[in-house]
Amino acid sequence: MKKLISLMLAALLPASLLAGCSSSESGKVKIEFFQNKPEAKSTFEKLAEKFEKENPTIDVVVSTPPDAETVLKTRIAKNDVPDVIGSGLNATFVELAKNGIFADFSNDPQLQNIQPAYVDMIKNLTGLKEVHGIPYSANANGVLYNKALFKELGLTVPKTWDEFIAVADKIKAAGKIPFYHTYKDSWTTLIPFNALASNLPGDQFFKDRESGKTTFRQAYREVAEKQLKLLEYGTKDNFGKGYSDGNAAFAKGESVMYLQGIWAIPEIKKANPNIEIGTFPFPASNDTAKNKLVSGVDTLLTLSAATQHKEESKKFIDFLLKPENVKFYIDEQKVFSSVKGVTQDDPSVSDLKESFQKGLLVDFADHYIPSAMKVDKIVQGFLQKKDMDEYLKTLDTEWNKVQERK
Amino acid sequence: MSKRNTAFYLMTIPAVLLFFAFHTFPAIQGVYYSLTNWNGFSPTYEFVGFKNYVNIFKDENVLNAYIFTFKYAVLTTILVNALSLIIALGLNAKIKFRNFFRAVYFLPNILSILIVGFIFNYIFGHVIPDVAEKMGIEFLKSNILGNENLAWIGIVIVAVWQSVAFNTILYLAGLQTIPSDLYEAASLDGATKWKEFWTITFPLIAPFFTINMVLAMKNNMNVFDHVVAMTGGGPGRATESIAVLIYQGGFTGGEFAYQSANAVIFLFIIVVLTFIQLKFLQKREMEM
Amino acid sequence: MKNKTNWAVTVPIALGSLLILFPLYLAIAVALKSPEELANSILGLPKEFHLENFMRAIEMTNFFQAFQNSAFVTVIAVVFTILTNSMVAYAIARNMDKTFFKSLYYYLISAMFIPFPLIMLPIVKETSALGMNNLFGLSVLYIVYGLSLNIFIYVGYIRSIPRELEEAAIVDGASAWGVFWKVIFPLLSPMNATVGILTCLWAWNDFMLPLIILNDPEMATLPLKQYIFQGQFSTDYNTAFASYLLALSPLVIVYLFAQKWVISGVTKGAIK
Repeated sequence: MKKLISLMLAALLPASLLAGCSSSESGKVKIEFFQNKPEAKSTFEKLAEKFEKENPTIDVVVSTPPDAETVLKTRIAKNDVPDVIGSGLNATFVELAKNGIFADFSNDPQLQNIQPAYVDMIKNLTGLKEVHGIPYSANANGVLYNKALFKELGLTVPKTWDEFIAVADKIKAAGKIPFYHTYKDSWTTLIPFNALASNLPGDQFFKDRESGKTTFRQAYREVAEKQLKLLEYGTKDNFGKGYSDGNAAFAKGESVMYLQGIWAIPEIKKANPNIEIGTFPFPASNDTAKNKLVSGVDTLLTLSAATQHKEESKKFIDFLLKPENVKFYIDEQKVFSSVKGVTQDDPSVSDLKESFQKGLLVDFADHYIPSAMKVDKIVQGFLQKKDMDEYLKTLDTEWNKVQERK
Repeated sequence: MSKRNTAFYLMTIPAVLLFFAFHTFPAIQGVYYSLTNWNGFSPTYEFVGFKNYVNIFKDENVLNAYIFTFKYAVLTTILVNALSLIIALGLNAKIKFRNFFRAVYFLPNILSILIVGFIFNYIFGHVIPDVAEKMGIEFLKSNILGNENLAWIGIVIVAVWQSVAFNTILYLAGLQTIPSDLYEAASLDGATKWKEFWTITFPLIAPFFTINMVLAMKNNMNVFDHVVAMTGGGPGRATESIAVLIYQGGFTGGEFAYQSANAVIFLFIIVVLTFIQLKFLQKREMEM
Repeated sequence: MKNKTNWAVTVPIALGSLLILFPLYLAIAVALKSPEELANSILGLPKEFHLENFMRAIEMTNFFQAFQNSAFVTVIAVVFTILTNSMVAYAIARNMDKTFFKSLYYYLISAMFIPFPLIMLPIVKETSALGMNNLFGLSVLYIVYGLSLNIFIYVGYIRSIPRELEEAAIVDGASAWGVFWKVIFPLLSPMNATVGILTCLWAWNDFMLPLIILNDPEMATLPLKQYIFQGQFSTDYNTAFASYLLALSPLVIVYLFAQKWVISGVTKGAIK
């Protein structure tokens, strides 16, 4: 037995030791690109490969861990911040930026090439003068629809909430499913929540809430009512299916519409390459002028403030920001570019172009809600219980609790 | 004699130092952080005294997590112990293919909870609704993991499926310590199987029962992987266990210090619970 | 009564085992089917074996690298856990009358009840400060954290070993070390097998510690890889299940040999 063990050890050791060595191989500089989008893993890997070819002395490791926000936070606790970070503009980014984790890009010439709306979004959320990242791509949170089924049922893209519900009614009357809800994954309940909350009470609400001028109870009843309304047009098992199920089911034409962000399009196309997808802004109200597209920074690129390889890391960011690489990225990912002059021409998202050109955009409401509130769980719980008063009360009490704990 | 003593100290001290360094020391740090407002990543933080503890007692989500955790742990512990004792008795009897069945019943124990969770997720989400659809069983047509009132049962099922294996093996080991002549004597006396179990079998495997109950309860109180793999604590907060709450709130929520305070309270509850359990069960063991 | 098969027990045991086997049957069937076949029948047997699911899973997750990492961590953890933890348990079990050892016993056991999230962030900081955020450091943590449970298991067992056996060796002039290695350690083999298997299962299947301790994606262990790829598999259940089975199979093979050990080992030790 002892012999067996020592043999096994002998067989195992060199392998792992070799694995340890390969990282410090002959003068190459190794930088780590940490990014949080599982959908974009292979696209970034392809770009990193291209970069390595152009820069043979730099080795880029793309890491896309599961539960990326948690991992990033533990990495920071370790004082081992990845060199280059790709992150959504979300509450975690804001918290980390405020704590000085990321480098300052305020004076970076690259910012001149970025559409100012997205740079402002960063400033708005962090409340800082410095800009701690370069917006790379923008997403949109709207309504995906199956073009073939829309044609078959003679439907047109709705512009108001009433039209939207009328479309859903027609689909239901035709014996089809209007929306494939995927509420087993709590974050997907936030898609309609954001569309409604960002448009109806708007972002101003959060400033007023903070200064005590209003409450969720006063401002969110309409949001709650409409959330419940949408539930009537789902499947038999709204809470039993998750995001992946939804992508596959929508790809197969099981539902006519799908409340998702455009980031889901590559996954849907993977399941059915022939599907013709269209996207329209979620019509939250009956006032068409007020219905803005919910859009945020999908990925922003930033550097660790403490990186040992600043030059090489910056070089990689500059490489990613080259128009041809941005184009490659957005073509694969179906997101919008925040770099000036690079446009998204994919037919599946062309309906959104108008909103982008006119600047009819509004940021995700949940970016203003502290992550400790776990608003996704509150919304998911509400959709199960369907008790509006309790829901609004919970939003207020949780908001207060989190503020108190600070 | 004193040389022997030195040797005993030498055997334990290095291990204990390591244990202190990698387990107790970080735990103490955790307790320390619970008195601060550290979010887990900022370079600075302040000392806030017992503020976090006060807030814990005002937090409905904490109470909710305790209710789920207790409900889950008690039911799972009872089911696992009852089932594994029955299975162990069965496997200890003169049955056909005994070794094969033993191997089968132990199998779940070697599978990772994560992967078991993924498999059952698929069963609850696709297989059962699919079959129910075909057979017209209304209440099974939807995924029970998506139902606020039933999701916890789904987690209990997976936990029982998986942990029966280990407890069965421990009981089996206990049963095999019982010399067979004891049973022969009992059968000569004309004792019924039922009486035989309570007068011979159970008292003799009581130490194994203690170990099993304590370990199962402790594991079940810390339930984490099952929840993460299957529901993530949802729907809403219906299956949010204490460990999940501490983890999610503390790390993704950026309330590290606050949830550390929660962990400290949880620690006290678990320790108290265990000592009560040990005392109670060991007393019973003695009485028997 | 002696050699007759007890059918009244065999039948329910057999039926019960179907409950255990069903999810595994399902996993194998799904892993072998094509997506079209799966869509048509979830439960049925696969008509032909789509082994390309496995090839795809190996390629996608870089299976062999992850396998090597898991094997390294598991082997180190098992070997050193058995060697060190049994020794600590022996010293404690034979000195329970002394305050030091008795409090050590309770110290280690009560540590078992410390919720892991309490130490999670501090331990992450500590291991990285010591340069232990790698496979070696991970193995050390398994050996150290195993102490609590293993002491509990070993001490109970060692106390049931009669002291007379040791006393004979002591009369022959053996030191405490000698007594342990020559007399006690061999007697512990059933418990060593149990502890070894428990450690093996834990180190092999754990994903929480690798997730927080390891930075380099190239160091990912098998479960971590499964977790990483859960999102990548999306609804490609065939590849996903093939990948699960690949991750499980090395242990299943080990288990086929070791399960006899556990059961007969425990029995043999218990009779002594």
